Amino acid sequence: MGGRPHNQKFKEFWQFIFPLIVAGMIWQLAVSFSFIDVALLPTPSMIAQEFYRLIWVKQTLLHHLGGSLYRLALGYIFAIAVGIFAGALLGLNRTVREMFSPALSLLIAVPTIAWVPVLLVTMGLGDKTVITAVFLGGVFEMTYSTMAGIRAVNRQQINAARIMGVSGPKLFFKVLVPASLAMVMPGLRLSNGYCWRALIGAEMLSAMILWGVGKMIYEARFWNDVKIMFVGLLLIGVCAVILDRILLKPLERGTVEKWGMLSGS
Amino acid sequence: MSVRKFLLPIIPIAGFLALWQILAATGVLQPGIFSSPSAILKEMLAIWSEQVDGRSVLLAHLLVTLKRLFLASMLGILAGIAVGFCMGLSQSFYRFLDPLITIIMPIPGIAMAPLFIIWMGFGDATIITVCAVATFFPVAYNTCTGVRSMDHRLVQAAYIMGANRGTVMTQVYGPWSAVYVFTGIKLGLARCWRTVIAVEFIVAADRGLGYMIWDAASYLRASIVFGGIILTALIFASIEKGMIRPLERVTIEKWGMVRN
Repeated sequence: MGGRPHNQKFKEFWQFIFPLIVAGMIWQLAVSFSFIDVALLPTPSMIAQEFYRLIWVKQTLLHHLGGSLYRLALGYIFAIAVGIFAGALLGLNRTVREMFSPALSLLIAVPTIAWVPVLLVTMGLGDKTVITAVFLGGVFEMTYSTMAGIRAVNRQQINAARIMGVSGPKLFFKVLVPASLAMVMPGLRLSNGYCWRALIGAEMLSAMILWGVGKMIYEARFWNDVKIMFVGLLLIGVCAVILDRILLKPLERGTVEKWGMLSGS
Repeated sequence: MSVRKFLLPIIPIAGFLALWQILAATGVLQPGIFSSPSAILKEMLAIWSEQVDGRSVLLAHLLVTLKRLFLASMLGILAGIAVGFCMGLSQSFYRFLDPLITIIMPIPGIAMAPLFIIWMGFGDATIITVCAVATFFPVAYNTCTGVRSMDHRLVQAAYIMGANRGTVMTQVYGPWSAVYVFTGIKLGLARCWRTVIAVEFIVAADRGLGYMIWDAASYLRASIVFGGIILTALIFASIEKGMIRPLERVTIEKWGMVRN
């Protein structure tokens, strides 16, 4: 374990980037040596130019990204807090679980985007709606993962701890929490993905938002500006990968993987 | 025990509905915005029995959405399994496609919709393509993971016993990766359902459950909005319970691939 050697990381990075470069080159050549209308399918170099223009000349891209990340952060943090609390309740108490888990599975089945019309009417067309949609996108998955995580804790571990005289808060924090993290951590990553998708969808549907990556794509529709759409789509993909691989995966590696909770997958 | 299991879940749902009904009846909740459970039921029954061109309005919306769901998920699942198998079997194919899939997979279907509207116009073609793309990625990713997790001793054993390539594919790789493929199909179908509803919001055709919700929201017809949301949950839950679970039972559980 510990830190992997520097060239190993570089090699992994290169293995990730190289196919993307090749695909980009194929795309570039395919479009320039055929009769495809670049207004419908721009080349990667045109998309890169547009990216540069949006960052340095128009200076709008970072505002859009900032707006989106701000909403994501708020909604995601609320979703984690509420989801872990509710999931712990459901996981620890059997009666509560039997009462609420069917309701939970119905709520998970509702597409997050379907809440948006209701939110638009009740909370207005602005930030509040989007943040609530992000929250709703992640909270049910987080609840479910936490519940499953606590239920999956090995009874023998709890009994062993009890026999050795551990009880109350100490049992909760030293035994239950680390053991259930094996499923809470993947839940964190999953619900981050759900939140991210809910964010983009809600931004596209909320009329009164100025900044947001979803908004940027939606507005590009009115000018049929395919280049901006591609910039937006790639930004969504790259940001999601960065959030997942660079923020959440190391968190998982530093906790449950380090503690040996995951059966080698 | 089973009575308890059956009755307990009804308490919070019934309590919630009763509270909602009372709050709506006493005017605490604005009737135009929140409606009430009885009004929702009445309105849903009304548009169920309302006939246009000799067909129930609600049923027409539902059938159009289910048709889109079916076509898109079939396309996405078949393509996903095919590409996933190729990625699982060929290392170079995997190396090439894995970064592309990693980047494109998190992009929600609704964000791709404006692009496909420009390419394919407003209509079924756009909705089905976007939803098929959304289904494709989880299926391909999970199938590939399943094939790559193959225990190669089993493959070698099958070859030694005289199996040819086709038999190894269908009798060894197939059942081994089936658990993963099913996970992929479940995730893909869930994503497809979400995407169908979402894309119907903006690719405003004239039919579909998503269209019905969005249209009702813009006329502030709260009963239809809430009724539609409840329907989306019920339909998806019944697809999962009624179709996927039995399918799992006759395949992977029968083959003994699930340890439970």
